[in-house]
Amino acid sequence: MRIRRPSVVVLSGLLAATLGAVTAPSTALGQPASATTAAEPNQVTNLTVTQADGYATLAWTPVEGATDYQIERTPVDANDEPIGPSVVVGIWRPNRQINNDSPTFADAGFNPGDRFRWRVRARFGTEEQPYSAPVTGTTLQPWGDPDVPGENLRTQWETTKAAQYTSDTNEYAYTAEIDRLSDRVRVVEIGRTVLGRPINMFVFGYPTPPTTPEAVAATSPVAINCNVHGNEPGDREACLIMARQLAFSNDPRIIDILSHTTVLIVPTINGDGRAANTRGNSTGQDLNRDYSLIRQPETAAFVRMVRDYRPIASYDGHEYGNTRAGDLPMLPPRHQNVAQSIFDQSQDMIEGFMYARGAEDGWWPCPYGCEGGGNVGLGEETILRNTLGLKNVVNSLLELRSSGGQTRPDEGNTANNRRRKTYSALWTFHRLLDYHRAKAAEIKRARAEAIGFQASNSGRIVFRGSHPIPARPAPHPAEAVPPLDEPRPDMILDDAPCAYKLTPEQYLGARTDGPGGVGATLAERIAAHGWKVVKAADGYYVPLAQPERGLIPLLLDAQGAEEWVGGQRVYPTLTGRHNGPLTVTGFTCIADGTVNGPVTVQPGATLVAYRTTFNGPVTATGAAGVVLGDVTLHGPLQVANSAGPVSLVGNTVSGPVNLVGNGGADAPLVAGNTIDGPLSCTDNAAKPTAIEVPNSVKGPRSGQCAAL
Amino acid sequence: MSEPHRAAAVPTGRPRRPHRPTPVGPHRPRVRRPLRLTLLAATVALAAVAAGCSGGDPDAPDTPDPAAAATATGGVSGPLCASLPTGTDPGNPESLAGEPVDVAVRWIPVLTTFDAAVRATGLAAELRGAQGVTVLAPTDDAFARKFSASNLDELLIHDRDTLRQLLRAHLVNGSYSLAELVAAGSVTTMDGTRLTVAPAESTARIGDVAQAVCADYRVAGGRIHLIDAVLGNLPTTAGRDDDPAH
Repeated sequence: MRIRRPSVVVLSGLLAATLGAVTAPSTALGQPASATTAAEPNQVTNLTVTQADGYATLAWTPVEGATDYQIERTPVDANDEPIGPSVVVGIWRPNRQINNDSPTFADAGFNPGDRFRWRVRARFGTEEQPYSAPVTGTTLQPWGDPDVPGENLRTQWETTKAAQYTSDTNEYAYTAEIDRLSDRVRVVEIGRTVLGRPINMFVFGYPTPPTTPEAVAATSPVAINCNVHGNEPGDREACLIMARQLAFSNDPRIIDILSHTTVLIVPTINGDGRAANTRGNSTGQDLNRDYSLIRQPETAAFVRMVRDYRPIASYDGHEYGNTRAGDLPMLPPRHQNVAQSIFDQSQDMIEGFMYARGAEDGWWPCPYGCEGGGNVGLGEETILRNTLGLKNVVNSLLELRSSGGQTRPDEGNTANNRRRKTYSALWTFHRLLDYHRAKAAEIKRARAEAIGFQASNSGRIVFRGSHPIPARPAPHPAEAVPPLDEPRPDMILDDAPCAYKLTPEQYLGARTDGPGGVGATLAERIAAHGWKVVKAADGYYVPLAQPERGLIPLLLDAQGAEEWVGGQRVYPTLTGRHNGPLTVTGFTCIADGTVNGPVTVQPGATLVAYRTTFNGPVTATGAAGVVLGDVTLHGPLQVANSAGPVSLVGNTVSGPVNLVGNGGADAPLVAGNTIDGPLSCTDNAAKPTAIEVPNSVKGPRSGQCAAL
Repeated sequence: MSEPHRAAAVPTGRPRRPHRPTPVGPHRPRVRRPLRLTLLAATVALAAVAAGCSGGDPDAPDTPDPAAAATATGGVSGPLCASLPTGTDPGNPESLAGEPVDVAVRWIPVLTTFDAAVRATGLAAELRGAQGVTVLAPTDDAFARKFSASNLDELLIHDRDTLRQLLRAHLVNGSYSLAELVAAGSVTTMDGTRLTVAPAESTARIGDVAQAVCADYRVAGGRIHLIDAVLGNLPTTAGRDDDPAH
């Protein structure tokens, strides 16, 4: 929550504009300038300071010809007398913000609640110009009225003034108190670490959060993953403070956000690593190289949460050692199998929104890998940013630059350094909520488009390789970008298969790639990801015509960079025109086909079809599975008593659609279809879901599909 | 009204007393009498250590100095001290006086890696030895300059025996101020390595690579001196990973 209270606002006026920076008005020598008129040439004018949680935004009128600015800070007492030395705490350089006409600098790295005086001066190269007139203000105390229960909770990091990070036990106690004292939050345990530490998630909603994961998913939630590397604790401290704000603040903005969606915060998925201060988990696994493979319980827990709660936008928090990077390196999901709409919407969040808000509030974002960052910010699907993109979640990475670097010279003091990092993360996570609130409709459209695209199984498969991040002309936060990371030819498969077939050994066999040499089976991991799998007579088929088509080959194809197994590529069994009735026995996959005649899927048989037109009824009774993506059907569709998955995504049907008595715990997926006719679902063992990609139905919806 | 600009990084927001250098130290060679006594005590203690006895003298009495008592620095000195908790901040040196070494380490913000190593290797008990201990504690920056992120993880998780031995290269039986170490001219750590200790500007150089950056945290049963390099003989692996973030 940001309380923006301009403190000493030095009056600006037309005078400043007309006088410009060079002309000196006729004030007597030695007289302090009013901030509007430059007493001396090239003096900064119109300096203001605005307080927010853990930072203060300095803003001023640019001086023509300035190459950079220095921000100086002096601690003062209640009478504005200096009680410590004046220190340059910031260097403003043009590449830190997109709007150089309105320079701003977020001063952070101070004890919240202290009072300061600030001045700013321009430099022409190394030539220092006169300091501005000062502005003074008292920074905000840590959020929450000390006399109000709940609000007055403080983390160990706050009470030790950043000398210590919040311990695991302190986090659990703090979490439990928030859970107990606020109706707006429910804390759920989404899993346990290898050593048995809880992985908690805050679920926020106003006045109370929805009670089931499915109900939460229906609100198109926004999620924050705060701490995956144990030695990068800064974002987690921000999340803990944010949790308190969301739980207890009566700021209309917070209530508005929580009234319109559910906010999910996972403060610590790597509790073992945090306690041991290791990057990896207790086995040494870097969890941010494990979100696709989910060899470890921590990542598997997170992936299950994403499957069940279905956030549509998220951030993943880290810290980063490149001293030349911006304050807040960010990056969209770049893996080339990520649908373009997800990449574009993520870039809109980062460059379209975060950069703009950063320019207003004084923070310096940049594309992760900026300023000589090296071989980072690539397309590994094992990295959560990319895994989520492949799961059609608009998202970004967040890094906090570890040290002060060239632009924050006063961070030799560890407490200052830690505070700047954490409060910059707090700023970012609040902006995520603002973006989601403002752009939920666009995000949902991007997601729906991506899911429809993936389910059509269109285009080449890229195993490793990135969407390019365009560099902007300097000076600009995006003037330096991560490597291009184009896919190598051996990482490209132009002709995507219809499905992968796994042997029982591959699907159900014991694995050794988990903690202590014991890994979950592929059956368990595929279920964690939420994919549709067809158990047929001759093996297990994972069709690509489903929402996570971008991720499936990376894990099941021998050509993958880090696959689980090399499953057998199964290509379409029928393409082109087929006239006459079609009886499906065994496994049939139709791609780019036109079937003129009724289609009957026999018991135990499997029909997979994508980018295909059916002219005639399609009827399946007791099928092993029916998976249709981007199919055009002129006729009725009836799927009854399937033993296995039913998935209908992005199809256009002129006729009734009927799902009856389909079994299994796996809910039929009916998403993004256009149906000119009734949609009826009865007696399905699990209630069909649209995963929040609504269908357009021109006829009654009834039974279990009434709300799809 | 304007303050003279000072580029030095000094924590703000607290009452500042004028900084005075710690009187007991290698840069005040005029103070002879107390040094001789200290030298004798240190030599005896170090001889005992070299001879294989565990522990030496208990903490030799501090040289009384009215100037030192008057300052609020908590007795620590070195170029890094001003960047660490001072005065009444949580973790300030005086507040740690009654804490055992392993607890004190958890309050010094630049020792998170050292602290993790102590806990991973179960050395807390050794740090609470009855004879007192002197800790030459590398800062987090020092560890980052020495080891890559994956190497550090390996040491903390899989290779704890090596880590334990590395830590012993930073521990000295007996509790010694930096001045005592300087006066003795060398120190032998628990792994048997003898390191030269020489005065260097306002602080001291230890061995070939390390300087004390904030010395003389007085804690229960020992002293902690923060140093800017990792001692011992493990290979340097820093810079080997792709950037250890993300």
